[in-house]
Parts: sequence; structure tokens; C-alpha cells
Amino acid sequence: MAKPVIDHAAELAKAGAGVDSRLSKAWFLAKSYPLGAIGLLLFLALVFCGVFAEWIAPMDPVKTNAATSLAAPGALHALGADMMGRDMLSRIIHGARISLAVGIGSTILGCFFGVVIGLASGYLLGWFDLITQRIIDVMQALPLLVMALVMAAALGPSLENTIIAISIPLVPHVARVIRSNTLSLREMPFVEAAKAIGMSETRIALKHVLPNTLAPLIVLATAQLGSAILTEASLSFLGLGIPEPHPSWGRMLSESAAEYVRTAPWLVIFPGIAISFAVFGANLLGDAVRDILDPRQRS
Amino acid sequence: MQPKTWLAGLAVVATLAVPVFAAAQQAGGTLKLYHRGNPPSGSIHEEATYSTTMPYQSVFNNLVVFNSQKDVESIENIVPDLATSWSWDSTKTKLTFKLREGVKWHDGKPFTAKDVQCTFDLLQGKSKAKLRKNPRKSWYWNLQKVTADNDYQATMHLGQPQPAMLALLASGYTPIYPCHVSPKTMRTNPIGTGPFKFVELKQNESIKFVKNEDYWKPGRPYLDGHDWTIIKSRATRVLGFIAKEFDFTFANDISIPLLKDVNEKYSEAVCHTAPTNISLNLIVNREKPPFDNADVRLAMATALDRDAFIKILFQGEGQKGGAMLPPPSGTWGMPDNVLAKAAGYGDKAVDVKKAQDLMKKAGYGPDNRLAVKVSTRNIATYRDPAVILIDQLKSIYIDGELEPIETSNWHAKVARKDYSVGMNLTGIAVDDPDVTFFENYACGSQRNYTGYCNKELQELFMKQSSMIDQEARKKLVWEIDAKLQLDVARPMIAHYNAATCHAPKVKGFVRKKNGSYSDWRFEDIWLQQ
Amino acid sequence: MASYVIRRTLLMALTLIGISIVIFGLLRLVPGNIADILFDAAGFIDPAEKAALEDELGLSDPIPVQYWNWIWGLLQGDLGFSYVTELPAYDEIAPRIPITAKLAVLALFFSVLFGLPLGVISAVNQNSALDYVLRVVSLSGLSLPSFWLALLILMGFVHWFDTIPIYTDPPDNLWDELVLYSIPAAAVGFRSSALIMRLTRSSMLEVMRQDYIRTAKAKGATDNSVNYGHALSNAVLPVVTIIGIEAAFLIGGLIVTETVFNIPGVARFLVEAIQWRDYPIVQNLVLFIGFVTVVTNFLVDILYVALDPRIKYE
Repeated sequence: MAKPVIDHAAELAKAGAGVDSRLSKAWFLAKSYPLGAIGLLLFLALVFCGVFAEWIAPMDPVKTNAATSLAAPGALHALGADMMGRDMLSRIIHGARISLAVGIGSTILGCFFGVVIGLASGYLLGWFDLITQRIIDVMQALPLLVMALVMAAALGPSLENTIIAISIPLVPHVARVIRSNTLSLREMPFVEAAKAIGMSETRIALKHVLPNTLAPLIVLATAQLGSAILTEASLSFLGLGIPEPHPSWGRMLSESAAEYVRTAPWLVIFPGIAISFAVFGANLLGDAVRDILDPRQRS
Repeated sequence: MQPKTWLAGLAVVATLAVPVFAAAQQAGGTLKLYHRGNPPSGSIHEEATYSTTMPYQSVFNNLVVFNSQKDVESIENIVPDLATSWSWDSTKTKLTFKLREGVKWHDGKPFTAKDVQCTFDLLQGKSKAKLRKNPRKSWYWNLQKVTADNDYQATMHLGQPQPAMLALLASGYTPIYPCHVSPKTMRTNPIGTGPFKFVELKQNESIKFVKNEDYWKPGRPYLDGHDWTIIKSRATRVLGFIAKEFDFTFANDISIPLLKDVNEKYSEAVCHTAPTNISLNLIVNREKPPFDNADVRLAMATALDRDAFIKILFQGEGQKGGAMLPPPSGTWGMPDNVLAKAAGYGDKAVDVKKAQDLMKKAGYGPDNRLAVKVSTRNIATYRDPAVILIDQLKSIYIDGELEPIETSNWHAKVARKDYSVGMNLTGIAVDDPDVTFFENYACGSQRNYTGYCNKELQELFMKQSSMIDQEARKKLVWEIDAKLQLDVARPMIAHYNAATCHAPKVKGFVRKKNGSYSDWRFEDIWLQQ
Repeated sequence: MASYVIRRTLLMALTLIGISIVIFGLLRLVPGNIADILFDAAGFIDPAEKAALEDELGLSDPIPVQYWNWIWGLLQGDLGFSYVTELPAYDEIAPRIPITAKLAVLALFFSVLFGLPLGVISAVNQNSALDYVLRVVSLSGLSLPSFWLALLILMGFVHWFDTIPIYTDPPDNLWDELVLYSIPAAAVGFRSSALIMRLTRSSMLEVMRQDYIRTAKAKGATDNSVNYGHALSNAVLPVVTIIGIEAAFLIGGLIVTETVFNIPGVARFLVEAIQWRDYPIVQNLVLFIGFVTVVTNFLVDILYVALDPRIKYE
């Protein structure tokens, strides 16, 4: 069966000047934030690898092969093979999916609960605020990696649990920012006005206050993306985190790979580069997003 | 004889004597080793791991020991230790030891037959003081009691003849403990009669032992002490050995792929590659459907591509075999012609076909695949083979999913029978059927993880144990081992080798080729200055 | 000010009580206890022996009783005994704290040493090629996994220098100690220096736009004296903040670094204790880390007042 063909040029033409100006706008942004553009490209590459891993990866990332154990980079395995003869390139490409899932998953999860708590706390005030603030104090005084370690041990090793474990330390951070934002917003004239016309409190919170906290939230979320990926790598390195045979980058670097740091350095170098680039991209992007959305910090 | 030729002869003797003289043992120096992690305690009787037995063995003496300069652990190679001699009575059930006089514990108290009695009372749970854990209780199923006949003579009373009892006593896992020291002190501050005294353990940092100046064996030990640096990360510690920070690696710490690295960068290092007497095996929950079906179990055992495991995990340095360590290193393992009768040791393609047929008989096929969780400890040495296993099971319509279990929960889960298929490692303390069969396959044994219990085989276990003629015993052991494999009691994948390395200046170390748990007395080791 | 200090002190006490409850509760949620681990090490499990061990360690008491026993002991200065070594928890924890503290201080020192001047240089040369290079370098400091960096450093040392900068014996003198800790400290400090550089840069930019700097320049002050004198003194504030934030974060970074360089500090000890379910160690240590974090943040806030007369606490 022939697939319906989309004529991109015609579609673009139909859309007309809008596309053109949007493109030029994007070009303008890219020119004003060259580092951010590089970050976006790196991040898109990560997303692309993650989404289309099955199609891009040359081999099955979990297929073991006795003949290619610890094979050096070459024609068959562009980035070499691990101890079990699995293709490193394919594992790194599939690993992008895991890093993406952990990065985005835990950020969304952490932000969601952080926003709910922060919004409720900043809007309701009173005893609810008092208690949540103390809980947040407690959570912030516990080192992030230690919390994640205990949580990962409590929940057991799996992708979902790793996402949960990494998202938890994010919650107080987000909640605090959202709360202080909410506090200043609730004194704003438009909120007063909404109150005056008899809008319900919940509606005000959701319709007026929440959208106005979006900018700091996005800034926070993009900044967290990179550190979530790093935390996953550290957890996996310490033996918690995502289990085999999932090709997690942190896991690839840990234990057995680290033992072959001299005999098969490609096992250590390539996943490390992958992590670094992904986090680097996310950080560049985060910086640019902050500069665009938060004019006070603009450099 | 002319005086001149006589002188020349003397000169020849002198030149010949020079290298001999240079090779003579030198006393002094502290051996620097690394340790792979904190030992769970310092009490050998409570533990079943190198982490305790390797550093702490030198604190103690046994009644008898395996000769440290011979490379086989066997009854013939047993030499006196705290016992100066031993004899069996005519019924072969009473084993009497004459004990060494004038031996002192590290705290100055004298050693007597009472201590021997106390040690075995402790192991059998008869004494007032209790061990927290007693992992080798199953070794003493045949021991009725130990009596102190007088200060320097003790007798073991056995239920039936058991020549291998001597081998169990010679193991590094069977030190004699003092009566007057509590089990708790033995865990934290062990007191023995051995060549080295325990000084201190700093968690994550070091363990230190110093020469026992009052050691009963004249001229021993050569070393002034041995110091251990604890390094958890294998990458770091092996790099440390390569950088010549240490004289000695941890027992069997250098896996075969790492050995290449050591050989290349530190070619003067002396590496002893030998079987670890640790085996990789499958545990299958025979109570849980569909694994209650013997065909499914047999299909799995038949489909295993053992050569692939050995090639990938140990770069070929491993042996296929049954429960007992395979020959030529192992004394009791089945010869190839017997092993060939067990499931899955023939031509691989034929075996896989056979296994597929068995699965089809059980109702599975390409369109009706069996989904199963493969449980294992969340440690690389367990996880890596599990990944290979899952890959191999695909060919017989089984889709395995890895279920990594935190170490803390692994045994509890297995004991609850809360698993279907598990990847397991079994270490054997002494290469003798009395250890292997009774620990891992006897009804009711604590380390019999699968709960396998076959009354008929149980009879045979006891029969082989009582046999005096060791050649006849060997034939029976082969027969038992073959049955265990066909019964898919605990399908064996491989027995593997690993290396222990040391600096060239370390002399007097002989690595046993059929066991690695009893090599660590360090009293015959010396450093060439 | 006095009332502020009292209020903060009370809040800190409340936070510490919260931490004690959270870590105590979390640990009991983690499956498996020391008895499981000890039996696992011995390769078997005997339900009767295990139950006896749990009784001996007080693990079969009701949870609130266990909590009360801990806190009551703590108030009397008794931290309990390590389950693993059976030695007083205090004797296990106390000697390790200075090791980690030295490493952390050295790491902070490195990060300020590099982060501060580079941040100023970057800000002064805003949007120049140098600025871009420095920003990329600092971002990469936030992007490299520290354990990976540490591993590469070890690999490089063994390969090129035939030596390995890991901890094997306690250092004999101050110089040896400095040498021993400086490489791991640099590996950890890389991250913090990146943070400090970024913050210094942005706050410098902000300060440089302000009126009094322009005034100073108009009055004929040279560029350098303005940049490094006036502006820097104002940029110290955010750096102090970072130190407060990093105090808690550093522990995380130190865990992996101590593991790779085999430093017997408190961070790695904590991870090990979590893995062994050595409750007395984990509880007391986490509470201690919480205490340090809370107090550091408090001191940072007080320091604000000292550094910036415009800030006042009610």
C-alpha cells in the first residue's frame, strides 16, 4: 500500500507568511542565543534517538554474542562491543530513551507535585502553609543523592521507581519557588479584581495565578532536566537505579565497564560522552530558556 | 682425591649453593594486600565468604590443615596443626586427636582439649554461648559429640564412618575457637592461636594483623604482619595493584578479562589462575507451574549453551561439569563420558531441537511462548550470566525478563520460594562430596535453595560418605552427580577460573587447584628483600 | 535581630525533629534489615537464628518504641552501636567526619579559587569570545558526571605516571594530606566552581549596570579598580549563598568521588551503611548532615546581614 504523500512545500505555502515569520523569528532567537540553539540541537538529537531508537540502532541492544565480547570499535561495531558482545552504539542510542524518560519523567512528576503543593501552600496559607513549609525545610536539609539513594533502595530497582526516586527531591525546590510566586501574585490587582467579581478561589488559583507562574516553572524544569539525567547516572553507578538489561548510560559506565577501563576503554568513554552531551545540551537549553523567560537574569 | 680437585669441587658446590642460598626464606616485612569490601564480621564460623575467611584465617589454627605447599586439597595432603597426630578406632567412627602442648591463645591463656570440645559444641548449638549465624551446621550431621579425654587429647564420635571428616576439619572454615571468649568478641576482636594477631579493623579503610611472637611453630611466620586496604570499587583496586600499591590481590579478584590487563601493564606480577570451585547454576522453583512439569525443567537444562557462558564471562577459562568440580583439577567430578549422559552436554543444535520438542510436549511453541521472570541478585557477577541466560532461553520459546533483587532480599525471597527461575552462584569450601551434597542437595539443608529432596539420593549421599575405599566412593559419586543433573536439581552452567596475583617479591604462596578457601594462613609466605 | 535568631533556632530544632522522623521512617520502609544482610553474606537464612538476632538488636520492638529509644539515647549522648561492627556508632562516625570535611573545604577552596576570578573575567568581557569559552567550560563542569571524570583521572595517572592517587594509608603530614586530597577535591570542585562562576558572572553583570558603578567610572576610576573593587565586593553575596546550597549538595558529589578514590570519609560510609541497613549509623549521620546543612544556611543568612547593611531581619 502506498503511503499518502505530503507535499511539504505546498503545505508550507498554504500556511503562507506565518511560517516564514515564525521561521525568521526562530532564526532571530537562534542568532541571539547561539549557545541555546546548540543546546536545543543537542536536546533534539537526544529526543530523536530516544523516539526512533528501534529504527536508528544498527543492532539489538540486548542481544549477547560470545564471538564479539569486548570487541574494539571497528567495521562491525562502530563504538565497540561490551563484555557480553552487545553493540555499544545500539546501546547508547537506546540509552537515550532511558535518559529521556528519566529526565522528562522525573521533572514532570516533581514539578507536578511541587506546583500543587506550592500553589496550595501559597494560596491557602494558614496552618496548611505552615506544615508544608516545615516539611519542605526537612526535605531540603537532606542531601539530594542520599534521599534518592534511600528511596531507590526502598522502592527497588526499576525504571518507574528510579523516576520517582529522582523526582522527590525536586518537589520541595519547585514548591518553594511556586509558593513565593503565588504569594506575590495574590496581591496583584487582577487577582483582586477577579475576587471582586465573585470568582471562586480555586478558579482564581487555576485560571489566573497558575498561568503566571509558568515562566519560572519552565525555567526551573529545564534547569532540572540535566541534573535529573546526572542523578540517574550516579544512582546507577552506585548500583541502584535502572537494572540490566536496560541500556542505561549510568549503568553502562558502572561496575563491569569500569573494570575494563584499561582493556576496553570504549566501554567507559562513549557512554560518558553521551551523558555529558545530553546534560550539556539540556543545560545550554535551560540557560537560554531562563534568559528568554526571565528578563531580570538576562545577561 | 687431589686437594685441587677437591677445592674445585667445593667451588662448584659454592656456586651451586648461591642461588639456593638466595632462595632461602627471609624473615621480616609487612605484606600489603587489598580487600574488596568490609568483612561482615571477624568470626569465620559465622561467615561463608572470602571477605572474612581470607584475612582472618591467619589468626587461627585448625586441628589439621591442608599442606600449604601442595597444590591439591585432599585427605592425603593433610598435615598436623593443633593436633600432632590422629587415629581412627576399629569401627572407624571414633577419631582421636593428640593435641599440641604449650600452645597459647593470643591473650596468653593455654590451649587445651576443652577448647576443641567447645568449638564443636558451638557449631552444633549445644553450648550456652550461641553463634548468631551457623552456615555450616549441615557439615556435622554425622557428628554425635566431641569429648575432651584429657587436657591434650580429644575424640570425635561419629554416627557412621566418615573418612572425609578430616578434609572438613582441614578447611580454612574450621578453625578452633577459644572456650573463654564470647562469640561476640570473636566477631569484633577474634582471638586465636595462629601466626598473626588481629590488631584492628577500620570500616572502609583497613584491617591490620601483626606477627604472633609466641607462635608455636618455630621460625614462623616470616612476615611481621599483613595490612589490608579496603577498596570497594574493583576498577580502583585493580588499578592500584597495577600501580604497584599492593603486594597481593584479594582472592580470585582478577577475572580473566582483567588478567590480560594485569599481564600487559605489570608483567612481572605472578598470577595464579585456577578454578575457584565456585559454580554458576540455575535454580528452578519446582513447585511453581509450569516448572512443576519435569519436561519444562529438562528443556531448560538441555537448551543451555554452556560454552557460550564460558566464552563470554570467563573468556574460555571455565569447565563444564556437574555438582562436583570437574577433572583434572577436581578430584570427584564426572569424567566426560559420564557427563555426556547428562542433559545438554551433547551437540548444541541437536540439544536445542530436543529442548524445543520437550517444550512443545508441555504445550509451548513459537506462537505460545512462556513468559517468565528470571530473578537474580543485583550484582554484576549474578546479573551478567542472567542476561545471557535470558538471551538463550528465547530459542526454546521462553521470554525471560530480568528481575534484579537487592542483595538484602535475595535469600529471603528464595527461602520463601518467591521465584520461578533464578541465576545462582555456589561456592564449595572443600572439594569433597560430603560438603557439596549435604550443603546443597540434602533434604532440609539451609543452603539447599530449591528445596530439592530425593529420599533415594539422600540414602546414596550417606552411603558414599561412609565408604572407606575412596576409588569405589568416586564411582558412586559420579552416579549421584549424573542423577542430580538428569533430575534438574540445580542445573550446572559452569565452574569458573579466576586469578590471584602477587608481586614477584612475594614467595612461598601455592594456590590450590581445587579450592580457594583454605590458602590464607600466610605463615609460609615471605618477602624477598 | 535577637528575636529573629530565637525564631530561627526554634525552626531549626523543628526541622531536625522532622529530619529524624523522615529518615527513621524511610529506613523502615526499605525492605530488608541487617539480619537479612548478615545472613545473606553467609549464604543462607535460618528463621530461628534470624529472629533471635532481630530480638537482640531491638528490631522486633514496635516502631514508635524504636524511635523513642533512639531519640532518648541521643539526648543522653548515646548514639547506639553499629549493627555491623558492634562498636559504638559515635566511634565509627566521628573519625570519618574530619576526612570528608577536609575534602569538602578543599573542594570549596578550589571552586572559589577558579570560579570567582573566571566569573569576573567572563562578566567584564561580556559576549566576547573569551566569555563564550568560559561559559561553555563552566557548563561542561555541570554536565560531566563526577565519577566519570574521576575514573578518567585515575586511568590517566596509571597510564602516564605509573601511580594512582588513591587513599591507601593515612597521610603522615599536612603536605601529604594536601596532595592526597587535592585531586579528588579538584574533581568535585569542578562542579561547584562552575556554579560559582555562573553566579558571580550574572551578579557582576547586574551590579555593573547599577548607578554607583557608573558614578565611579564617571568620576574617573579606572576600569580595573571598579571591576575588581566595587563590583566584586557586591558579588561576594551570591557566592556565600552558593556555599550554603552546595554544603548539602557536596555530600552527594562526595559519595561517588570518595568511592572512586577510595577515601574513607563519611559520605561513602553513609552509602555503605544504607546498603547494610545499619540503622544507628544512617540515622545519626543523616541527622548530623541535616544539622550541618541547617546551621550553614542559618550562618549564611546571618552573614548576609554582616556583608550587606541594607538587609535586615525582623
